[in-house]
Amino acid sequence: MLSIENLHVSIGDKEIIKGLSLQVPAGEVHAVMGPNGAGKSTLSYTLAGRAGYEVTEGMATLDGEDLLALEPNERAAKGVFLSFQYPLEIPGVPTLTFIRAALNAQRKARGEGEVSAPAFLKLAREAAGKLKIDFDMLKRPLNVGFSGGEKKRMEILQMAMLSPRLLILDETDSGLDIDALRIVSEGVNAMRSPDRSMLVITHYQRLLDYIKPDRVHVLASGRIVASGGPELALELEAKGYDQYAKAAA
Amino acid sequence: MAAVTQTVEHVASLEGDKYKHGFVTDIAQDFAPKGLNADTVRFISAKKGEPEWMLQGRLEAFERWQAMEEPTWARVHYPKIDYQDLYYYAAPKARAGPMSLDEVDPQLLETYAKLGIPLREQEVLAGVQGAPRYAVDAVFDSVSVTTTFKKELAGAGVIFCSMSEAVREHPELVKQYLGSVVPASDNYFACLNAAVFSDGSFVYVPPGVRCPMELSTYFRINAENTGQFERTLIIADKGAYVSYLEGCTAPMRDENQLHAAVVELVALDDAQIKYSTVQNWYPGDSEGKGGIYNFVTKRADCRGDRSKVSWTQVETGSAITWKYPSCILKGEDSVGEFYSIAVTNGRQQADTGTKMIHLGKGSRSRIISKGISAGRSSNTYRGLVSAHQKASGARNFTQCDSLLIGKHAAAHTTPYIEARTASAHFEHEATTTRLSEDQLFYAMQRGLGQEEAVSLLVNGFVREVLQELPMEFAVEAQKLVAISLEGSVG
Amino acid sequence: MSLMQAIKARDASLLPSRRDEAWRYSDLRAAIREIPGASPEASRPTGPPPLVDVEADHEILVLNGRAEAKGFLAVAGAPITLRLRIVSDAEHTLHQSALTLDLEPGADLTLIETYEGQGSAYVSGFSLAISLGAGARLERIVLVDEPADAISISRSEIELQPGARLAQTVVCSGARLQRHETEVRHPGGGADVRLDGLYLLDGKRHADLTTVLAHTAPDGTTRQLTKGLAKDQARGVFQGRILVEEGADRTDARMGHHALLLNDGAEIDAKPELEIYADEVSCAHGNTVGSLDDAALFYMRSRGLPEAEARALLMQAFVGEVVDRIEHDGARAAVQAWVARRLEALA
Repeated sequence: MLSIENLHVSIGDKEIIKGLSLQVPAGEVHAVMGPNGAGKSTLSYTLAGRAGYEVTEGMATLDGEDLLALEPNERAAKGVFLSFQYPLEIPGVPTLTFIRAALNAQRKARGEGEVSAPAFLKLAREAAGKLKIDFDMLKRPLNVGFSGGEKKRMEILQMAMLSPRLLILDETDSGLDIDALRIVSEGVNAMRSPDRSMLVITHYQRLLDYIKPDRVHVLASGRIVASGGPELALELEAKGYDQYAKAAA
Repeated sequence: MAAVTQTVEHVASLEGDKYKHGFVTDIAQDFAPKGLNADTVRFISAKKGEPEWMLQGRLEAFERWQAMEEPTWARVHYPKIDYQDLYYYAAPKARAGPMSLDEVDPQLLETYAKLGIPLREQEVLAGVQGAPRYAVDAVFDSVSVTTTFKKELAGAGVIFCSMSEAVREHPELVKQYLGSVVPASDNYFACLNAAVFSDGSFVYVPPGVRCPMELSTYFRINAENTGQFERTLIIADKGAYVSYLEGCTAPMRDENQLHAAVVELVALDDAQIKYSTVQNWYPGDSEGKGGIYNFVTKRADCRGDRSKVSWTQVETGSAITWKYPSCILKGEDSVGEFYSIAVTNGRQQADTGTKMIHLGKGSRSRIISKGISAGRSSNTYRGLVSAHQKASGARNFTQCDSLLIGKHAAAHTTPYIEARTASAHFEHEATTTRLSEDQLFYAMQRGLGQEEAVSLLVNGFVREVLQELPMEFAVEAQKLVAISLEGSVG
Repeated sequence: MSLMQAIKARDASLLPSRRDEAWRYSDLRAAIREIPGASPEASRPTGPPPLVDVEADHEILVLNGRAEAKGFLAVAGAPITLRLRIVSDAEHTLHQSALTLDLEPGADLTLIETYEGQGSAYVSGFSLAISLGAGARLERIVLVDEPADAISISRSEIELQPGARLAQTVVCSGARLQRHETEVRHPGGGADVRLDGLYLLDGKRHADLTTVLAHTAPDGTTRQLTKGLAKDQARGVFQGRILVEEGADRTDARMGHHALLLNDGAEIDAKPELEIYADEVSCAHGNTVGSLDDAALFYMRSRGLPEAEARALLMQAFVGEVVDRIEHDGARAAVQAWVARRLEALA
């Protein structure tokens, strides 16, 4: 499970996360909601280990192991997967080549053998089929010229194939129409399992109609200011973030 | 910033000793006396048993060269070369010229085995069935050591031999074509080459023949203080096709060594020549000590209608590269292509590109150049696209991308575009960007190590050009690019 | 190897020639065999200046190399418009002069700079040193409209302080040899530069637009767009060089040059250069040379437009992009009118 204790994160001289604590037990889906500028993306980038996000205090562990000391790729090998709000385009590198390189790098880091080419292709075909992705698309350079919805589906495809233990979805619903949202959500829901934890980061309640959270946390001004069941999301939808923003300030 | 910073540090820590072809073969060699004068030229000609007309041509070139000045327009800097402090001829002792493998010094064979060059035909044949085969001309310092598959090629009518042998066996072809594309007067280094060139490869593909295998020459500089001046001439007669590959390596030495080659290609009507180079001369160490000065003139004469010449180059080595493989598109509807990857690191300097000179109606050209600069290196694309008034319908597309890795690398683009016909259509695009921090993080988030991530991104960047190489070369080139940038030498 | 040195020494062999890389397409030595004698004084031109419709607050006249003022200082405050007329009225003689233009921090100046010629076969040299204080804004509109047999070389050096903004549009019709050269020191720090150009050439006219722009510190932007048309045996030259010096990180620079040849025998030579020594930059240049779109021409004619009119319309559309980027409304309208007249000659 994911455990975050009193986390403080600065970008440059500016403190963005100011003492955040959060526990996501195995098998549970937790939503983190908050207004713009609350520190949602900072939280996801910090957990994934992006450079420039300096942890000044606190800790984050996955199954008791310190995440913050690890390189981004080492975290990935431990099972951390971040679905990017804005997935990157990688010109000249076919999607399949990219995923295979990533999968084998993770397996190698864990001391496992490489996946054979036929086994990999089978895995890719299955995953693409479930997400209604044309297999030929996987031969094209990753995300280059893909629509917003296609890029998000590619994120979920990678998630399915890399089979992580901790899934962080950063504003996965942004830029998706209803059909794409449903397909992406089904992909995510299919990954729910007793040994996986998910952190769903979102501004709107809409996504939570599709991916039902066990717990909802409100993030404002760099701290968790309220926690509750799924009903908290509905309440936020109706009343907005103002009361929390004020409370945090 | 961390990822890129570390990459940069890693790249910076790269030493020349990562160069895996840096060994020296200890073999007895014949040298010409040090220095350059008319006697040196006579010595070389005599060593090769050349006819009088060859000697005269060399002497004329030498005389001309003495009156010429070394060019300074390229964006490269190096101390003045003392042309009197070089050897102009070095050959393994034994008789000059190619021989059968049984006669070749076993130490030489071992050298090529170490370099991974198949000189024994049976070794090549023992490979996977259906795999493409390569005939190899191996040039060791100044002379061709051996040429493989000659018999089989002769059966198809293809002549593939050393230049020395061609002078002896096919003087009429040599007389007709040698110097017809790159005359001695062309430039300083080409003129020097015309005076002192020692050996190189000669290819003639007769009308209508598709050369049954890939031809390749492997150049190896071994001797100390020795310039290498090879000369290559490839003629594809009407409707012929040939694919030719060249590879180059040299030992690590503290002194700079000069390589001033000339390559001439002639494509007649409907002929096609595909010329690929993987250049991995010793680049010098990380402080810029040693390395090869690669001052090369390569030009194709697409004199036939519908002829086509395609240059593909992967340039990772040499302290200095000065090289512009070009096409003179004389034939109607002739086609010229230039695909280039140039990687510089450490203190390397490259000024490379192409010239596409459109003279024929409907001639077309395409230029794809990918430059990568790391360390404290400097990488310049320099290219000319011109259309003569009579070249109606001429077309060119140029894409020129530079990738910067680190704070101290330099990347330059200097294109010259000259159009004199209204129906020409020239398009040129160029970009310069740095290796993207965001892309690196993204790849690492998916589990790739930093080196792997850099290598993957760089390979994506050069992919368009890699695709133009024959498969085996592409794999080799991909590795080379990664090694040049990362030092992940196995 | 400059015009000034050659004039001083009265030695034509000191003139730059095509052997000099920066002059490879404009061989001044071949155009001037001997340094001509000095131009005499001339009387004020009686006709209206080019772009007369633009209202100006101040005017400086430079007549056969004799300037009414040594320079101009633009003070901060309300926007100012300055008209600078460089007038030649000479036959086979030479004149040259130099001027300085300073913008105080925060000043806002529109410069209407016109080159006009009355005589023939003269050689004119003019140089302008411009400095922009922090936050100053200069829009410079240059029109070079001279006799076909004149030789005219103008050069400006522009230095900006951080936060300053320079927008320049040079429009020219060529001459026997006409070169307009701009050198900019770009300090980054949010300073912003637009460098545009347009050449419209026919007969044997030759125009050379050369720019050298150096980014010397981080965070600078540059946008450059030059377009041109060449007809008959005219020759258009564009040389643009963007230099990003070491340390000028996060520079964002784009350069475009697009030209049309209206018939065989006309010539376009372009050399768009990027020279980059900095990190984290994003630079690009694009260059195209071609002819008027035949399909579009046919389409327009099939709708009843006479060929010349259709060609003029297409040319107008092609060059319009440059003219439309002029920010000063009056100047834009005046340049539009000048360009429309010029296009009639080219259609």
